[in-house]
Amino acid sequence: MITIYVRRRAANFAILSLSLLATAVGLLVLFLILWTLLRHGLPALSVAFFTESTPAPGNAGGMINAIYGSLVMTAVATLVGTPIGVLTGTYLAEFARGARLALVVRFINDILLSAPSIVIGVFVYGVMVARMGHFSAWSGAAALAIIFVPVVVRTTENMLTLVPASLREAAVAMGAPQWKVIVMVVYRAALQGMLTGVMLAVARVAGESAPLLFTAFGNQFWSTDMNGPMANLPLVIFQFALSPYADWHLLAWGGALIITLAILALNVAARLIANRSSFSK
Amino acid sequence: MVSEHIIKSYDQELQRLDNIIAEMGGMAESQLAAAIEAVARRDSELAARVVKSDARVDELEREVEGLVVRLLALRQPLARDLRQIVAGLKIASDLERIADYAANVAKRAIALNQTPPVKPVSGIPRMGRLGSGMIKDVLDAFVERDAEKALAVWLRDEEMDDLYTSLFRELLTYMIEDPRNITACTHLLFMAKNLERIGDHATNIAETLYFLVHGTPLAQVRPKRDRTSLALAPNADVSEIDEDQD
Amino acid sequence: MTYEIQPVEIPNRQRPHLIQMPAVETPKPIAEAQEQVQPKVQIKDLRFYYKNYEALKGINLTLHDKRVTAFIGPSGCGKSTLLRVLNRIYELYPDQRATGEVLVDGQDILDPRHDLNLLRARIGMVFQKPTPFPMSIYDNVAFGVRLYERLSPRRLDERVEEALRRAALWDEVKDKLRESGLSLSGGQQQRLCIARAIAVKPEILLLDEPASALDPISTQRIEELIADLKSDYCIVIVTHNMQQAARSSDYTAFMYLGQLIEFNTTETIFTHPHERQTEDYITGRFG
Repeated sequence: MITIYVRRRAANFAILSLSLLATAVGLLVLFLILWTLLRHGLPALSVAFFTESTPAPGNAGGMINAIYGSLVMTAVATLVGTPIGVLTGTYLAEFARGARLALVVRFINDILLSAPSIVIGVFVYGVMVARMGHFSAWSGAAALAIIFVPVVVRTTENMLTLVPASLREAAVAMGAPQWKVIVMVVYRAALQGMLTGVMLAVARVAGESAPLLFTAFGNQFWSTDMNGPMANLPLVIFQFALSPYADWHLLAWGGALIITLAILALNVAARLIANRSSFSK
Repeated sequence: MVSEHIIKSYDQELQRLDNIIAEMGGMAESQLAAAIEAVARRDSELAARVVKSDARVDELEREVEGLVVRLLALRQPLARDLRQIVAGLKIASDLERIADYAANVAKRAIALNQTPPVKPVSGIPRMGRLGSGMIKDVLDAFVERDAEKALAVWLRDEEMDDLYTSLFRELLTYMIEDPRNITACTHLLFMAKNLERIGDHATNIAETLYFLVHGTPLAQVRPKRDRTSLALAPNADVSEIDEDQD
Repeated sequence: MTYEIQPVEIPNRQRPHLIQMPAVETPKPIAEAQEQVQPKVQIKDLRFYYKNYEALKGINLTLHDKRVTAFIGPSGCGKSTLLRVLNRIYELYPDQRATGEVLVDGQDILDPRHDLNLLRARIGMVFQKPTPFPMSIYDNVAFGVRLYERLSPRRLDERVEEALRRAALWDEVKDKLRESGLSLSGGQQQRLCIARAIAVKPEILLLDEPASALDPISTQRIEELIADLKSDYCIVIVTHNMQQAARSSDYTAFMYLGQLIEFNTTETIFTHPHERQTEDYITGRFG
C-alpha cells in the first residue's frame, strides 16, 4: 500500500514537472518573440514611422500607408465577416437541430477553416482581380473576410452550444419567441466567447500575407482608393525583410512589433469589454 | 408481510418498538393475572410483588417514549411507519395504565386481606380473567396486525361492562344488607372499577390497532353498557356522563 | 374518536380520477372550500413519447386552481415529463411528442393551433437549477413583462417590485437591482426565477424540483413562498423530497413507470395511501 502511494506521489510529481516544463517552454518562446520584436522593433518607431509612407531603399520613410491598408482591410473583413459568421453559427447551433443542411454547412466550414490562405488568395484573384482587371483593396478585404468567416462560425457555434439548455428552456417558458430567446438571453450568455471568437479571427486575418499577395498586392505610396492596390503590413514586412537593405529591415521589425502589439491590445480590450458587459461568472 | 426498508436500521428500530410493546403487554397481562390470584388466594406477598414490578413497566414506557421521539426526529416516518410509531406511543401508554390498575388491584388485595372474606369476591376473578383475555388477544392482534381480532376485543368490552354493572349491584346489595361489609365491599368495588378501566384501555388499544392497520379511525360508536350510574340515578341520561378518561 | 368525513362537492362534475376525494384538509368552512376548489387543468389519457419510448402511459388527472399539487415518484417515473407537457416546453426537441388532451380552462393546449408563446406566457415555470438570465436583476424580472405588455417605466418598476416582494427577495436586492442576476446566491437566484415567473401574472405555476439544489433555509423560504402564492395560482410542484411534498402541497400524485398510481389529498397519501406501491415508495421500501 505504501509503495503504491509512493509511486503515485512520484508519478504525480513527474507529470506536474512535465506540465510546468511545457508551460515554461511555451511562455519562454512567447517572451523571446516579444523580446526580439521589442529589441529590434522599438528603434524603428519614430514620428516618421507613423506619418510617412514606405520609402525607396536608402530614403527615410515610414509605414503609414501599410498601417492604414491593414486597418482598413481588416476592418472591412471584420464588418463583413462578423455578421455572416455569427448568423451562420447561430443557424448551426440554434436552428439546424441535426438537419442535413447543417451537416453540410459544418463540413464546408471546416474545410474553409483549414484551407491554406494562399488558396483563398488565388480564388479571390480569379473571381475578382482577374475580372476587374486590376488589384484592389476590395478584393484584399474580400479574401480576408473569407478567412474570417469560418473562424467566427466555428467559435460562435461552439459558444452557443455551451449555453446550458436550461437557460434556453427558461426563456422559452416565459413565452419568448425564439429570436428573442437567442438575442436577449443566449447571445448575452455566450457574449464573451463570441467576442473572443471575433478577436481570434481579427488576429488571424490581420497577420495574413498570402491572400493579399494576389489581391491587394501592395502599394508603395499612400492610397485610400479601395479600388486600387493598397499597401498592408504583412506584405510590407515580407517584402522589406527579404530585401538586402538595412533600413528596410528596421522598418520590417517596426511593422512586426506594432502588428503584434495591436493584436495584443485588441485581445486585452476584448477581455475587458467582455468582462464588463457579460455577466457570466 | 411488509417488505423491508431500504435503510435496515430503520427496520431494526421499528422492530424494537414492537418488541418493547410486546414485552410491556406480556408484563401487564401477567401482573393482572397475579393481582387477581392474590385477591382470590388472599396472598399479600404475591400482591406486594405485583406492586413492585409495576416500576419495570413504567421504565419500558419511558423507553418507548424515547424511541418514538428518536424515530420521529430522525426518520421522518410516513404512512404505515408513521401510524406504527404513533400507535406504539399510544399503546405503550395504555399498557402502562393497565399495569397501574393491576398494581392498584394488588394494593387493594393487601388491604382486603385485613378484612374478613366476603362472598362477592368471586366476581373479581371473572372480570380479571376477561381482562387478561382481552389484553392477550389485543396483543396477539398487535403482533399479527390483525384488525378483525382487535375488533373482536373491542366488542368484548361490552361483556366487561356488563360484569361490572352486575358486580356493582351485588356489592351495593351486600353493603345495604350488612354495613360491616362496607370496608371489604368498597375495596372490591374499587377493584372492579379498576378492572373495568383495564377493559377500556384494552379497547383503546384495539382502536389504535384498527387505525394502525387501516389508516382510518374506527368510525363506529362503541356500545356503552356500564349502567352503574343508572343504579344511583335511574333517570339520568348515561350518554351524557363521560367516564374519566385517565 | 369520531371523524366526520365529508366529501367536497367539486363543481362541473370533475372529480379526480382514481379515487374519490375525501374532504380537503384545510380547516375552512365547507362552503368556502367548495367555492375555491376549481379544476384548472384536466389531463385526459395523456401519452408521451421520446422517439419510440412511451414515457407517459395514459395519464388522467385534474389539477385544481388555487391549490398545490405535488408529483412524486422515483427518477424516470415521468413526473418531470408530465410537467413539461403542461407548457409544451418539450417541443424544443424534435423527437418528443404527446398525445391525448390537456385542457386548461376547457381548452386543449395540445392542439397544434394553440399559440405556444401565449400559452407559455400563461404558465410560469421554475426549473431545478436556478436559471437567471445573464442580465440585471431588474431586467430578469421585467423580461417576461416586456414581452407581452407595454408598461410605462413607472408601472414596470412597480411590477418588478411587486414580483420581488412576492418572491420574498425585495429586501435583499432592492439596493442592487442593476447588478447581475448571477451575482446572487443559489437560493436568491431561485427566488429571482420565481419572481420572474410571477411578474407576468401567470395562471399556472410549474415548479420542477425548485429546491433540490438549495440549502435547508433557502428551501424553507421557497416552501413558504409556495404557501403564500397558492392563494392566486394553480401550482404544480415536482419533488423528490417527500417531506417537501407533504409540507407544501394539497394534493399529491404518485407516479411510477409512466403511470399515475395514486392521486389523492396529500394528507391521505402520506398517512394512509390506498396503493401498496405508493406506501412502499413514501416509506422508503422501494426495491
